[in-house]
Amino acid sequence: MSPLALIFLIIGIPALIGLAYIFVRGSAGLRRYILTRIGLLIPMVFILASLVFFVMRVLPGDPVRSSLGPKGSAETVARMREQLGLDDPLIVQYGRFLGDIVTLDFGNSLTGGRRPIIDEMSERFPATLELVIPAAGLALLIGIVGGTLAAARRKRPFDYALRLYSVVIYSIPVFWLGLIFQLVFGVRLGWTPIAGRIDPVIATTLERTTNILWLDAIITGNWAALWSSLSHLVLPVVTLGLILSGVFLRLTRVNVIETLQMEYIGAARARGIRERIVVGSHALKNAIIPVITLLGLQVAILLAGAVLTETVFSWPGMGQYLVQRISSRDYTAVQSVITMFAMLVALISLAVDIVYSLVDPRVRY
Amino acid sequence: MATSSDILYSVRNLTVEYETRHGVVKGVDNVSLDIRRGEILGLVGESGSGKSTLGKAMMRLRNGSARITSGELWFDGQNLMELSERQMRDLRGSRLGMVFQDPMTSLNPVQRIVEHLTETMLTHEPEWTEEEARARAEELVERLGIRRERVKDYPHQMSGGMRQRVMIALALALNCDLVIADEPTTSLDVIVEAKFLDLLKELRDEFNLTILLITHNIGVVAEVADRVAVMYAAKLVEIGDVNQVFEKPLHPYTEGLLKSVPNIELDSGALYKMEGSPPDLSSPPPGCRFHPRCPYMMEEVCPIYDPPFAPPEGASEDTRVACWLHHPHPQKVAIGA
Amino acid sequence: MNLPVQDQETAVPQWEEELARVGFVRRLLRARKWYGADWWFVAISSVMVLAFIVVALFPQWFAPYGPHEQVGPRFLAPGETPDLPLLIVRADSGLSTLEDLATGPDDEVSRPPIAVLRGAPTAGALREQAALLDDELQESDSGLRLRPNIRRYDTVEEVLQAVQEGEAFAAVLSSVQYEEAAGQFPDLDAPSDISGGVASAGDFLLGTNQIGQDVYSRLIWGTRVALIIGFSASLVALFLGVPLGLVAGYAGGKIDRVMTVFMDSLYAFPGLILAIAITAVLGPSILNVIIAIAVLYIPTYYRIVRGQTLSVKQEVYVEAARSIGAKPSTILRRYIYPNVIPSVSIIFSVNIADAIITGAGLSFLGLGLPPSTADWGIDIARGQEFIQTAWWLVTFPGLAIMLVVLAFTMLGEGLTEILNPKLRDR
Repeated sequence: MSPLALIFLIIGIPALIGLAYIFVRGSAGLRRYILTRIGLLIPMVFILASLVFFVMRVLPGDPVRSSLGPKGSAETVARMREQLGLDDPLIVQYGRFLGDIVTLDFGNSLTGGRRPIIDEMSERFPATLELVIPAAGLALLIGIVGGTLAAARRKRPFDYALRLYSVVIYSIPVFWLGLIFQLVFGVRLGWTPIAGRIDPVIATTLERTTNILWLDAIITGNWAALWSSLSHLVLPVVTLGLILSGVFLRLTRVNVIETLQMEYIGAARARGIRERIVVGSHALKNAIIPVITLLGLQVAILLAGAVLTETVFSWPGMGQYLVQRISSRDYTAVQSVITMFAMLVALISLAVDIVYSLVDPRVRY
Repeated sequence: MATSSDILYSVRNLTVEYETRHGVVKGVDNVSLDIRRGEILGLVGESGSGKSTLGKAMMRLRNGSARITSGELWFDGQNLMELSERQMRDLRGSRLGMVFQDPMTSLNPVQRIVEHLTETMLTHEPEWTEEEARARAEELVERLGIRRERVKDYPHQMSGGMRQRVMIALALALNCDLVIADEPTTSLDVIVEAKFLDLLKELRDEFNLTILLITHNIGVVAEVADRVAVMYAAKLVEIGDVNQVFEKPLHPYTEGLLKSVPNIELDSGALYKMEGSPPDLSSPPPGCRFHPRCPYMMEEVCPIYDPPFAPPEGASEDTRVACWLHHPHPQKVAIGA
Repeated sequence: MNLPVQDQETAVPQWEEELARVGFVRRLLRARKWYGADWWFVAISSVMVLAFIVVALFPQWFAPYGPHEQVGPRFLAPGETPDLPLLIVRADSGLSTLEDLATGPDDEVSRPPIAVLRGAPTAGALREQAALLDDELQESDSGLRLRPNIRRYDTVEEVLQAVQEGEAFAAVLSSVQYEEAAGQFPDLDAPSDISGGVASAGDFLLGTNQIGQDVYSRLIWGTRVALIIGFSASLVALFLGVPLGLVAGYAGGKIDRVMTVFMDSLYAFPGLILAIAITAVLGPSILNVIIAIAVLYIPTYYRIVRGQTLSVKQEVYVEAARSIGAKPSTILRRYIYPNVIPSVSIIFSVNIADAIITGAGLSFLGLGLPPSTADWGIDIARGQEFIQTAWWLVTFPGLAIMLVVLAFTMLGEGLTEILNPKLRDR
């Protein structure tokens, strides 16, 4: 079974169960909220996919011809075009495109071996996950802790230092930071490897199931592979995570500051509650809510950063795939990858919305 | 005459300053006030008169950029100005309580009512167990007229009147000696407000509370208070027994306030409107602050000399007023006042 | 805490008083006391932004060379003196530059002999430079040509000896080689390097890249591209997004809902990826990059403006205006517009920062800009493979990006703190 399908199952089944539970036990307001969110999912994917479709079709010139290059004879080009249905009216093509998406049939890659694109994506998707999830976690950790501390010590040196940090780190291009880290930690200090997911020699000894390498290493007890894959993970995750932490820091800080000006904070202090609890519990729990709602949007930055990070560190994920396919003018693949990203973004938005609805009691009840 | 053991809280020469874009402003200017045990003292004034600032300062609460720059706060024989922040924290919620104006925003939206209460209790009495605290919370809430199952609710699930009663519950949780209620009924409608005030009186008797009731609504004060104090432009202008003040107000401002209240019983006659508006505290008028608006203003005295806040000639200590109509001044003799 | 007290006794100089009467300046100076460090944030970043704009408008004032000029040796490290090949002649020969060796139809020796070290790169440099000069001479109709007869010798000493004894009119060696043996040949002199100048480390402040271009000059010229992309993309997005937001917020109903779903989807999608797709389709040109990035930011303006419009629309004073028959255009102009401007200005600043970074990302990936453009992202991409030996190729363009983006972001951040009423102390 393809790794992609496996991941969908691992995430999907508990998610569906959870969703059902919430649906049944929740209040009417909650139900309505979730249904609305799911309802919005479809137009979102639809719009994005259509956008991709039309953008690709606006292409001046012939995708098939330019991908085959000078080698293609007129016959071959004509044959391929017919095969891909590129001569049919636009509406028909569009309909077929939508149908294909629903069935997850992405067709075959135009160049580079004509492999089914879905297979290529299945291999690379776990790689991107492996990078993106720890990076997001790191960014959240730094951001939330830092943001809260900065808000609590507002207008004092610590606050300004952290604000400076978040602004500076946001200004650093992620790919440049990656290169600098490679230079300093990889080349000059030699602490970590600088490219790839795992040492190629060790890679041959690792048996893949999920294609998340450290997980597979743990499952098969291959400690060398575990060490290798983890050490390859360090630089890309830290690069991406640091850049993103600035965003979360600013977000948390602003929200905590606003929350601290609420009446109930003063009321809590008037009851003698310790300041640490007032900030860390009363304020933070309230401030987190708007941060969560905005979390879904930060995913966009995360994925954009992932594309660049993967390129710098030669990380074989979806991002790098996209860039490669564009360079080799493989438009079918490009279209498919972007559609895939769109679905991913939509799903994550939905997930975030659901988490938000559970966290905010005003929605839950 | 009030004896010292009667006085629970004594504010002495308190001045509170805060920063604005136009400079330093005195939100409370040399105010002295005594609150007696078991009484309900009403503190009346317009918005911006400094009454809320005074209330918060009495608990030494953080309030924007406001700082107490002089004065003493004597609570039950202790000068609060000498206490550390930690010692103040111990007092807040256990012996000094505050009820805020808007119960919707004064309660943490993501915290259940019961948690509000148990948290307060356990902060001050860490030896209690969760169950003890919870039981006490349920009892308290029921005493205030809310069904005990409702403690598990979140604030938004309750009505305005219920929430305000929860606020009182929070002040009663550890049997505060003094409750400062800052505009507690402003956000309530009239009927709920009446019920609330009745409840306040009951509780005062039952729990032996002392209440400082801060409000701009004179009607509320008339209903419930034993004594009333009037604030204008960061200073106290009158204080006395509530019936006396209402029947025969000494200060022109108090008189103006009372005349402004629309009276259903009186018919015809235009609504009374006081001339002018409250002064800019960053540059208050010289002399008596009310003089630009005062119908009894005496040219040679009022715009120049600031009247003392003292008992009027011949009256007892309990009544005080800051007005040259009631205090001697050499200039008054000169103009034959 | 010491509270600032207004001391009215301090004498204020006449000009300061007059200056302070200007409302804006007075507010600005008072603001410094009130806003503290945030004021400095905005002040410093404004200065930086202005500086960058000046550099972008007049790069020729700041850059010693053009962006494409291959003026130096390759891979020169910052601060390193370029090891240019020297022209060595007899001190009494009267020759000072390579061009002096040019010959006309009347000269007896049409092909002047020049000595070089066998196998040294200086030989190739000589040949290149001579060819260059020869072309110039031909074009100039002076009748002169430069076609050296290159004689190879095995050691440095032999080379110098040849010049000393007149076997060769001149020699070309690297400065290091010349330094070593110069003592033995007091009659010789090295008046210049073969390009006619006298090189020093200051010529190439930050080093040179793999094809001999000055890194510092390319940094300066790159500012122009970056700022053009940043400003243009943000402006286009603003001119499209703001009106759409106003319309959606004011009109409400179906129009609003449809547009918002569309905009939200766009907003949620990773910007870079969309930009990649658009530039891949449209082709590499600076205009296409601007379009691609602008599309990304339209939803940002749309959302903020729509939100503001919605909240202002609900204000009582707007209802009041409507009830006395005010036209929608009047309401928009007088009530909604002024409320919207501060937020839009802040977003504009931050947008420029974002646009520059996205643009850099695009060019780093090799998309968007034509490969001959002098752009920081392109420089970083090209410098990537030499990162181990020539670290400066990657470091300085990256720092440049960081500084420019930082300036605009700080400006936006600082303005937010100052303009956001919710963040002020009560």
